Amino acid sequence: MFRVLKNEILFKLNGWTFLSFIIGFLIIIPIAFVAIQFNNSSENWYHIQENVLYKYIYSTLILVLGTGVLSVFFGVTTAWIISFYEFPGRKLLEWGLILPLTIPTYIAAYSYYDVLETFTPLMLWIRNNISFSAMNLFNDFMVYFVTIIVLSSVLFPYVYLSTRASFLMQGNKLIESAKILGYLPGQIFWNLILPLSRPAIVAGLSLVIMETLNDFGAVEYFGISTFTTGIFRSWMGMDDVGSALRLSSYLMFFVLLLMYFEKRMRGNAKFDQNNDSSLTHKRLVLSSSKSKSVLVICLVPFTLGFIIPVTRLSLWSTSASKDFFNIELMQILFNSIGLASFSSVIIVIISIILLFSSKYFNSQIVKITNQFSVLGYSMPGAVIAMGILLVSAYINGITNIIITGTISSLFIAYLIRFFAVSSQPIESGLENECSQINQASRNLGKTAFQSLIKINLPLLKKPIFVGGILIFIDVFKELPLTLILRPFNFDTLATLTYDLNKQAQIFDASVPALIIIIVTMIPVIFLNKKLERKS
Amino acid sequence: MSEVLQISKLTKSFTGNAQPAVQKVSFSLKKGDIATIVGSSGSGKTTLLRMIAGLEIPETGQIIIDGKVINDKNIFIPPEKRNCSLVFQSYALFPHLNVRDNIYFGKNSSQNYDLIQNLIEITKIDQIQDRFPHQISGGQQQRVALVRALAINPSVLLMDEPLSNLDRELRLNVRTEIVSLLKKLKITTLIVSHDTEDALAVSDRIIVLEKGMISQIGSPLEVFNTPKNCHVALLFGQSNFIPIDNLKKKHKYFILNEKNEKVISVRPSQLKIVNELALDDDFFFEGSIINICLLGLHKQLTIKCKQFVVNVNLSNLEEAIIGDKVKVVFKKTHFQI
Repeated sequence: MFRVLKNEILFKLNGWTFLSFIIGFLIIIPIAFVAIQFNNSSENWYHIQENVLYKYIYSTLILVLGTGVLSVFFGVTTAWIISFYEFPGRKLLEWGLILPLTIPTYIAAYSYYDVLETFTPLMLWIRNNISFSAMNLFNDFMVYFVTIIVLSSVLFPYVYLSTRASFLMQGNKLIESAKILGYLPGQIFWNLILPLSRPAIVAGLSLVIMETLNDFGAVEYFGISTFTTGIFRSWMGMDDVGSALRLSSYLMFFVLLLMYFEKRMRGNAKFDQNNDSSLTHKRLVLSSSKSKSVLVICLVPFTLGFIIPVTRLSLWSTSASKDFFNIELMQILFNSIGLASFSSVIIVIISIILLFSSKYFNSQIVKITNQFSVLGYSMPGAVIAMGILLVSAYINGITNIIITGTISSLFIAYLIRFFAVSSQPIESGLENECSQINQASRNLGKTAFQSLIKINLPLLKKPIFVGGILIFIDVFKELPLTLILRPFNFDTLATLTYDLNKQAQIFDASVPALIIIIVTMIPVIFLNKKLERKS
Repeated sequence: MSEVLQISKLTKSFTGNAQPAVQKVSFSLKKGDIATIVGSSGSGKTTLLRMIAGLEIPETGQIIIDGKVINDKNIFIPPEKRNCSLVFQSYALFPHLNVRDNIYFGKNSSQNYDLIQNLIEITKIDQIQDRFPHQISGGQQQRVALVRALAINPSVLLMDEPLSNLDRELRLNVRTEIVSLLKKLKITTLIVSHDTEDALAVSDRIIVLEKGMISQIGSPLEVFNTPKNCHVALLFGQSNFIPIDNLKKKHKYFILNEKNEKVISVRPSQLKIVNELALDDDFFFEGSIINICLLGLHKQLTIKCKQFVVNVNLSNLEEAIIGDKVKVVFKKTHFQI
């Protein structure tokens, strides 16, 4: 330990590593500030603890469990069908099943705003014929049921994508071996394919759970009290920052616990990468009747997660008031595009600096700060927002500089939340493409800056582009962070959709919602095409 | 002649490994020396090379190049400022640059135009300068990597398994080319290789590493014919371990096992079968042939005597039958060492 520290300070400390360490440290600070708030006392905490904390825990767990199970069911089933069977429409569905990812959870929830109303006659019947409490119970059940279906139908592609990639990477050799050993197709799936894909499924599932915990718009719309809505309510409704911070720290520890279990469940298993990925599966051509069955199975989540929301929003948008399409909407569109573009450029540049420094100088300290910096992606937006507010208050107290409610605080928040999004492709690019040739470049006498410009940037064009696009999409549709930290009178399409829905202006809200879907859909299709070509 | 590279008590450990990867390694090379570090997997060969190149920081020890300390307790000159260049095992050519740009990539390489042109000519890569690395063969890639490393006119050239990615025929050609080029340029070279045949063919000196420590340093013939221990003996191929009790004259021996058995190493090619014993034959024994194995250019006999079993190489022209009683002696060459 002492030796490592000595090497870091004596031999590896330079402008690059110092700057990277400082940036990484600054990214970690807001999260660390939230972490130490678990004992923060406030006057309302007693009330929260006595009356609502149990509900927050209970609702959050039900949502996480329900959405997780249903997403795995949707994701694995569709991935299995698409990877192993040939039927009319398969190619279209292969990328079509990714499209629900373009619909943020809060927009999906708005598009199903009236679903619960269809159960009103049934609820009245229960009240009249059974009891009032039975009706309440049924109502609660339906709220959770609908929310879980809505969330799963737009989040299942995380499981679908990771599982499908794992199925494709397993190649044909194992399946052929199993067939020779006398296994039937069903047995091969349960005893071979599924266990081999467990790490991929768990990876997809963990993303689904983190998105569920991050969601604010959908749960608030359906009236479910989760940790995230609790944080908002404490801070904005009760003006109690202390309780909001304490709830945030609880949620954060819950996420950390989840990450720990995810890591344990996945272990170091990378079964699917050992095999010959060049051999793709020979898909089984299905008969006409079986083709129809699998088509229906695939169409269910696709319809729920994409067709219905997009169709309903499109229809509603035709009824939007004409004076809604004004310069203000254009200004908000410009805000969203500008914010997303600028954020993606800045975050990508910072990711390159941090990751390049860590790899090029083999700096352990920068590596550690980078590892902590990616934790932000697992943290719900509300937690990060509370961290930023806390740090801003400290800075304000010391320097009189006001950061809260400025664009810069929003950028910092996006950096913390989405650093991992761009770092993942850039890091794997650095690892795969540049690791040894960077050493060669150093050995040939080039400086770090020369190596970055002449070697790394030309070779990392694709990962940098992919990282940038992913951040653009995420920032463009981000809601909870933007809602808390946006400057006064500053709107994005996401906050506009939220505000209009809150005012029950469903028709007008459908316009910005549709714009968000269309803008995020283009890069998603583009990226998928690229990945397809690569595989 | 002054020493160009001096390594003194170099040690390096990796976290999680109980044993150091490299332990108190010391040696030095003079100008124009070609030395090869050999050893089995995990013996610390590449770590040692990477420390000299500056890609790993040693725990203790000193590295001096051209009289300048580049590594000490409180000194670490980064790789870009060391006057040595490394040819990587996978060549590490820049895939987006053509051969010419790869060669001229190094620091100050444009100032060494004449040297580079000469190198390009010698290595016969002048016709492929506009091609990209993926458009040329493995042998050509190897030569480009070598020229690129030499283009910065380093004091010390380091090569990590330079021939391991080439097929046998190409390897022999490239091996000859490299040696003649390095000898012509009189450049001090340290090669890492797991292939002892390559090491014997190209080196002036061989450094054998075992578990991070030097087992033996010597000329190829010394290391091959009089290995210092069982590990070195077997690293360079098959060997018979003959107890010194059976020898008339004194020889440098080593301890074979826990029983403190004192033995010398004799290669199957260093033994011969004779009809009559000569007076100066240091060692002989009689035994019967228990196995014959055809090995292409020659055959190998396994001969059992009372105390031990030995393998002896025999020309294919000579006849041998299992069960025959034979006399075995050292070849004269063995004594010439």
